[in-house]
Amino acid sequence: MSDVVEKTLTALPSLLSLDSQPGSTKLSSTSKLGTLIRGITELTSKHEEEKLIQRELTSIKEQVSSPNTSMRQMKELMVRAIYCEMLGYEAAFSYIHAIKLAQQGTALEKRVGYLAVSLFLNESHELLLLLVNTVLKDLQSTNLIEVCMALTVVSQIFPKDMIPAILPLVEEKLNHPKEIIRRKAVLALYKFYLIAPNQVQHIHNKFRKALCDKDPGVMTASLHIYLQMIQENPEGYKDLTASFVTIMKQVVGGKLPMDFNYHSVPAPWLQIQLLRILSLLGKNDQSTSEIMYEVLDESLRRAEMNHNITYAILYECVKCIYTIHPKSELLEKAAKCIGNFVLSPKINLKYLGLKALTYVVQQDPKLALQHQMTIIECLDHPDLIIKRETLELLFRITNAQNVTVIVEKMLEFLRINKDDYTTIDLVGKVAELAEKYP
Amino acid sequence: MPTGRVCFRVALGSSFRQRGNTVLLFKMQFMLLFSRQGKLRLQKWYVPLSDKEKKKITRELVQTVLARKPKMCSFLEWRDLKVVYKRYASLYFCCAIEDQDNELITLEIIHRYVELLDKYFGSVCELDIIFNFEKAYFILDEFLLGGEAQETSKKNVLKAIEQADLLQENIDFQMRLFAGCQRSRDTAQRTGGNWTDINVVHIIIHLPHTSFICQLLYVADNNSNSPLSTLNFTVTHTQLCLCFLPVF
Repeated sequence: MSDVVEKTLTALPSLLSLDSQPGSTKLSSTSKLGTLIRGITELTSKHEEEKLIQRELTSIKEQVSSPNTSMRQMKELMVRAIYCEMLGYEAAFSYIHAIKLAQQGTALEKRVGYLAVSLFLNESHELLLLLVNTVLKDLQSTNLIEVCMALTVVSQIFPKDMIPAILPLVEEKLNHPKEIIRRKAVLALYKFYLIAPNQVQHIHNKFRKALCDKDPGVMTASLHIYLQMIQENPEGYKDLTASFVTIMKQVVGGKLPMDFNYHSVPAPWLQIQLLRILSLLGKNDQSTSEIMYEVLDESLRRAEMNHNITYAILYECVKCIYTIHPKSELLEKAAKCIGNFVLSPKINLKYLGLKALTYVVQQDPKLALQHQMTIIECLDHPDLIIKRETLELLFRITNAQNVTVIVEKMLEFLRINKDDYTTIDLVGKVAELAEKYP
Repeated sequence: MPTGRVCFRVALGSSFRQRGNTVLLFKMQFMLLFSRQGKLRLQKWYVPLSDKEKKKITRELVQTVLARKPKMCSFLEWRDLKVVYKRYASLYFCCAIEDQDNELITLEIIHRYVELLDKYFGSVCELDIIFNFEKAYFILDEFLLGGEAQETSKKNVLKAIEQADLLQENIDFQMRLFAGCQRSRDTAQRTGGNWTDINVVHIIIHLPHTSFICQLLYVADNNSNSPLSTLNFTVTHTQLCLCFLPVF
């Protein structure tokens, strides 16, 4: 490149006076939000902060009610109002303007308007009905970004009674060519299912289509709905077990696109959802469980690396194995896994290991005996949470011989504990033990 | 501490924890971000609660988490919820989930959110989140919808945010064009003129932190050495390509 060209290219940013810093921090030095924040951090007392914020809120109130405020200014005012609300001061006057902003603003202004609405209002707020019209309009817009924003806000907060009005529009988005819209539509329907299940009964076959969607994102979104439905009625979905197992095999085998990898683990959250679904389907049902053994074995084997997320997957696998119809080799491997957790020096893993033991110990008491030295060590651990978990575990392996010792330890813990909820919990346990072993 | 009889009744009632083999859904109740001094930077609630309750919860939880020592477990049992927290530099990220859940996965959700923020802001620090908190909210909403983690690739999440960002970058700028001769054969062919006399300005502008660039091809009059004209235009979500080649 000749040096003239080079010189020009370097001079270009200043010629065009564009900010080339990432994160668009150019707002911070001149914006009113920046001034407000800096003002707050300079103050020393809560009282002064209150005064400053009240002043700010009055000025915002004036500006939002004035008819001359443009949408751009309104957006800026909304951001400041959100900030004040976050600090704990009420800015209820701005709610209606947030809805107006979502209605009348363009792109980013609309976005801030929707954000403000989702942060300010809650499900039972009376202003929520005003939002419905805006959302309806945006869902039919040709601008995809607006459709996305509308679907996002619908998934977060929407009045139950207006679902029939919006349902057909959301349903037709399920067939949209763009995968991001399909995905958000599935999640919106999931939200509808959670708040009003009978309204969504008739479209279950569409969920099946979403499950087989070629985009992994849409498929994952449909799993949320399936997990919920299977939890309520496992029998109805046993025929899907084979499909779930196939999907799991593909994920574990690395067939998903590379960017679903999280620290070289393929789609961990997807794996965990699938493991939960499988454990629900296989519970107390030998034939269904038999379909899953192979894939569970495979996931156990693959998740050998040393990262938090693989431990999370292993934990979920172990839980699954203990829930479904038992198979001895898998149980052995799972037991070894738990052993690794409990013996690990990392404190988070120890906690998880103890928790897994509490599940396991009812079916396999020998495992707890194997690790009893570690458990006893954990009793004296400086971290109260670990202590509590150990006591929880001990509660389950109490028998006539060790009950006095265990109850003594519990009482000791109660003396140093300060949290009311745990106190109530533990005392209840002690009482139950007292009843069982007089 | 309540008297023996009262708490016995309460304990056998609701707060006695069940540890069966039930599989509950992962549902996040809320997420809070706060600094080491206890100042709230972001709050997202996925369950309906009154303002008073929210403030109370925030206050108490912030105190409890700040009291934890560094080597302690990242999981707290607080009231009837499980709280997973992690500290990144000067910010605490705190999530409350229901009791039965896999805590490690929540820890990883927090980590993934931090990774997304890092990629978007480029080496994120607390100040970025403070001054651009609405963008932090947008990213959070894209990643966790209704309290559920969507397994979308990192690329997809950031792409969705970038596209929406681009919509609003109305860039007004002026450019000065200097005349010159362009000895580009293919340009000459395209415009059909005498190629020694053609002045072509081809400008590329890369919009900050997005993957969109603008291009414009402008053919100017020949033979003047002073700044030709100033081009004023507004670029809104179009993908015109500009490539600037000053020449002799």
